[in-house]
Amino acid sequence: MDDVEKGKKIFIMKHSQCHIVEKGGKHKTGPNLHGLFGRKTGQAPGYSYTATIKNKDIIWGEDTLMEYLENPKYIPGTKMIFVGIKKKEEARRERANLIAYLKKATNE
Amino acid sequence: MSSWSRQRPKSPGGIQPHVSRTLFLLLLLAASAWGLTLSPKDCQVFRSDHGSSISCQSPAEIPSSLPADTVHLAVEFFNLTHLPANLLQGASKLQELHLSSNGLESLSPEFLRPVPQLRVLDLTRNALTGLPPGLFQASAALDTLVLKENQLEVLEVSWLHGLKALGHLDLSGNRLRKLPPGLLANFTLLRTLDLGENQLETLPPDLLRGPLQLERLHLEGNKLQVLGKDLLLPQPDLRYLFLNGNKLARVAAGAFQGLRQLDMLDLSNNSLASVPEGLWASLGQPNWDMRDGFDISGNPWICDQNLSDLYRWLQAQKDKMFSQNDTRCAGPEAVKGQTLLAVAKSQ
Repeated sequence: MDDVEKGKKIFIMKHSQCHIVEKGGKHKTGPNLHGLFGRKTGQAPGYSYTATIKNKDIIWGEDTLMEYLENPKYIPGTKMIFVGIKKKEEARRERANLIAYLKKATNE
Repeated sequence: MSSWSRQRPKSPGGIQPHVSRTLFLLLLLAASAWGLTLSPKDCQVFRSDHGSSISCQSPAEIPSSLPADTVHLAVEFFNLTHLPANLLQGASKLQELHLSSNGLESLSPEFLRPVPQLRVLDLTRNALTGLPPGLFQASAALDTLVLKENQLEVLEVSWLHGLKALGHLDLSGNRLRKLPPGLLANFTLLRTLDLGENQLETLPPDLLRGPLQLERLHLEGNKLQVLGKDLLLPQPDLRYLFLNGNKLARVAAGAFQGLRQLDMLDLSNNSLASVPEGLWASLGQPNWDMRDGFDISGNPWICDQNLSDLYRWLQAQKDKMFSQNDTRCAGPEAVKGQTLLAVAKSQ
């Protein structure tokens, strides 16, 4: 069972420096992730994305995020300083928890 | 852009340049549409009003010269012990340089001289054991330096000379056992220091002394046994403090004394059986609202009268407590296995 609370801690520790999830919040170094699920890549209003992310034709959801967060650099040209949370079981669970938290928090 | 276009692979004989460029662009479009696993044979180039962004992954060929308006360059996933010496020649407007996931073993001391406007340097996941003196001599504009997941066993203060504007220093995932004194003494603008996932057993007591205004301090995943009372005193505006996953058995009574705005404190997964009275007095409610919370789970708490101070504090901010069900008493026998919150409530 994916753990939203654990995901929240991971988000605060590793991702909140550059991202927020609250509706209407100002972008930081990275885009505000509110409204992420069900949205096409590169669509957070008011953020200046690289062209590769904007042109990528995928919809963010649990599966696409699971894949992306393992290897964010498969979208080349991303400005993110993040090499991904790699495969092993512990890492897989970390990604799942993080995604469970994002699914809830970006929709509030 | 003439020097750049010379680097593109030769088009089949006889096809005119604009047709081959169209084919090239079509290949790029096709690659990015299918794109998740397909790596383009060439670097990707994007032009905008701000300048050129170039992104290269193996098996593309690393350009031997860059357009003069290059602002963003990524060279990643190559199997390279060294970069071409004059990679950055002529790219004087470069702002961001992403060099993660190569196998870089060393950098040449002049490597960054051509790029005095550089703001971001990402060297995550390489094989660096040190940095050459003078590397950052021309890097007064560098805001973000990431050396995460390299093979640094020691750190010399001299390696970081010249980084006047550094705001974010990430040294996590290395093999650092000790830090030199005065490491941060000259960083006026440092906001984030990440020393997580190293092998630090002790910290120089003056580590955080300096003109900096630290907001985030990561020390998780080390081997720290003690949190002394002087470490955090020079940084009253610290907001995030991660000490989880160490071997902390003792926290000094005044350790959190000076902190005024701490939003997140993680002490989970240590060896804390008890903490001194007064430790928590200055944190959180009623002084301020810890915006994100705290975690003291995964410790072998001995839930006796010595924790009464902690019980009172927990009750005042239990809505900010992470991992409530994993914060349990290891003793005494009568309360073994109960949650701290349950014991706190019963006082």
